[in-house]
Amino acid sequence: MNDVIDLLARLGERLHDASTGLTGFVSDLVAEIDEKVDRIPAELNEYGYDPWGYNPAVLKRFILPVAFLYRYYFRCRTRGLENLPEGRVLLIGNHAGQVAFDGLMVMAACILEAEPPRLSRGMGEYWLGTLPFLSILMDRTGSAVGTRQTGVDMLEHGECVMAFPEGVHGMNKLYSDAYKLMEFGLGFMRLGLQTNTPIVPVSIVGSEEQNPGIANLKGIARLLGMPSFPITLTFPWLGPLGMMPLPVRYHIEFGPPILFEGDPEDEDDVIQGKVDEIKAVLQRQLTKGRENRRSVFF
Amino acid sequence: MPKLLITGIAGGLGRLVAKMARSRWEVIGVDRDPWPSAPDGVVVHQFDMRKRRFEDVFRTERPEAVVHLAFVRHFRSDPATRHEINVEGTKHLLEHCAEYGVRQLVVVSSSYVYGALANNARYMNEEHPLNASRTFPEIRDLCEVEGLVGTFLWRYPEIATSILRPVNTLGHSVHNAIGNYMKIQMVPTVMGFNPMMQFMHAEDLAEAVNVALEKKVRGVYNVAGPGAVPLKRALEEIGRPYFSIPDTVAHTLINTLFSLGIYRFPPGAIDFIKYPCTISDKRFRQATGFRARHTLAEIFASVAP
Repeated sequence: MNDVIDLLARLGERLHDASTGLTGFVSDLVAEIDEKVDRIPAELNEYGYDPWGYNPAVLKRFILPVAFLYRYYFRCRTRGLENLPEGRVLLIGNHAGQVAFDGLMVMAACILEAEPPRLSRGMGEYWLGTLPFLSILMDRTGSAVGTRQTGVDMLEHGECVMAFPEGVHGMNKLYSDAYKLMEFGLGFMRLGLQTNTPIVPVSIVGSEEQNPGIANLKGIARLLGMPSFPITLTFPWLGPLGMMPLPVRYHIEFGPPILFEGDPEDEDDVIQGKVDEIKAVLQRQLTKGRENRRSVFF
Repeated sequence: MPKLLITGIAGGLGRLVAKMARSRWEVIGVDRDPWPSAPDGVVVHQFDMRKRRFEDVFRTERPEAVVHLAFVRHFRSDPATRHEINVEGTKHLLEHCAEYGVRQLVVVSSSYVYGALANNARYMNEEHPLNASRTFPEIRDLCEVEGLVGTFLWRYPEIATSILRPVNTLGHSVHNAIGNYMKIQMVPTVMGFNPMMQFMHAEDLAEAVNVALEKKVRGVYNVAGPGAVPLKRALEEIGRPYFSIPDTVAHTLINTLFSLGIYRFPPGAIDFIKYPCTISDKRFRQATGFRARHTLAEIFASVAP
């Protein structure tokens, strides 16, 4: 058994096992996940792994608690999945909320609500690859440490790749900056140009309120070798429990795909111009999403 | 038939390469160790490559092609000796190749030269920097060898020189670090890490060497087998029980044992069972049409207890 199944996916496994004896929504959800994950297009070898280490059996266990969060905790309202083109696509989203529930919710949306179900493969921080258990979980559920070559390979293979170009600067921003897009990295645009991949802007409304940041102690972060050390209403005061998000409602919108053309090795200025276009689209989508919601929680 | 000189012919891979090459080449070998059961027609000169006699072999035999396999790939010997054999040995070999009219040279390096790093691209191509020296100084000599051969490659365009960087190679007759690791009764692994690893069968690597000779390829090529699986899954398939120890404990333990000379497993090697070091063999496949014949199941069966 993988360590990762032992520890991180234990909750999922319990639910999975328990569901065999349960009737009602748990077993329905398990059946739904089984059916949908099986339909995700993937090139698996005889041992059930794809070239990047994705394993559907692990994903099924992992996605069950995530699906619970998606349906019953964040009660996600997702729109625009019909905008997801077939084959290679790059999802670009806004990052917030101290812990990357936003990535997980986009992942759940693509599995539970897209037709056919898709695996959105996250491009993670380098730091994540050095973490025990989490590094395995990341691989088995289809994500990877975000390097250019890995992104190119996945897209050329027709995968759906998800990136948050703000990185930790977005995720761990303070509440005073809520819904203000931070500086975007340029890597994703070069990736898109190189592989001729349509970009789908994904706006996520709700994540900013799930765990508002009060401060970010960069000194402590450096000391612990972490990218950031956020202070929130509950973290670190309640320990790991303090990472628990508030039950806000998520509104996720997949915008129409945009195909950029140009030289992937162009000057930063030129690439920046294209990145700004995406950023503007995303900002508009965010503003519209915020205007349309009735309240943060409902 | 043209003559082929194989250095390190008595090793597991050397024997496989020699047996396959016999139909197309007159095979001559050099090795410190004997090969008592060498097939008919294969001449084995038994001496240390660092000796003058090595040059005599070039002078008298005048090989048309050379396959260089004589590297120390374990850490049991003195580091200075290892460096001398690997780096100095290669340097002399290259000089002889240039002087005695060798037309073709294949050097078998390793994918380990890329190093195992958390932020490695999952399928590194040949342009990826050789980062092994950053975290694994014990195999820096292999990177130096690559430097020497790379320079040679550009200096002598008339010689078809190729460097092959194969993935983890397993086989009954091959003794290397990864094979030895996977044959431990209870295999130690690092808790919370389970990198994707590529494997290939030793016979396939021997064939790749022969294909490189046949196609007269020139340049640096990654060579891979049928695919990748997580390390611990591979151990399960092989049928070896394993246990996991926390990273910090593993490093402290291995460091202590290594510095005391009790267990010659360098601490830098731990990264290879933690982080990915997977490569893309697209270039070699395109240049030669080579496809590994053995499946992962066959590879694992070849080292099963």
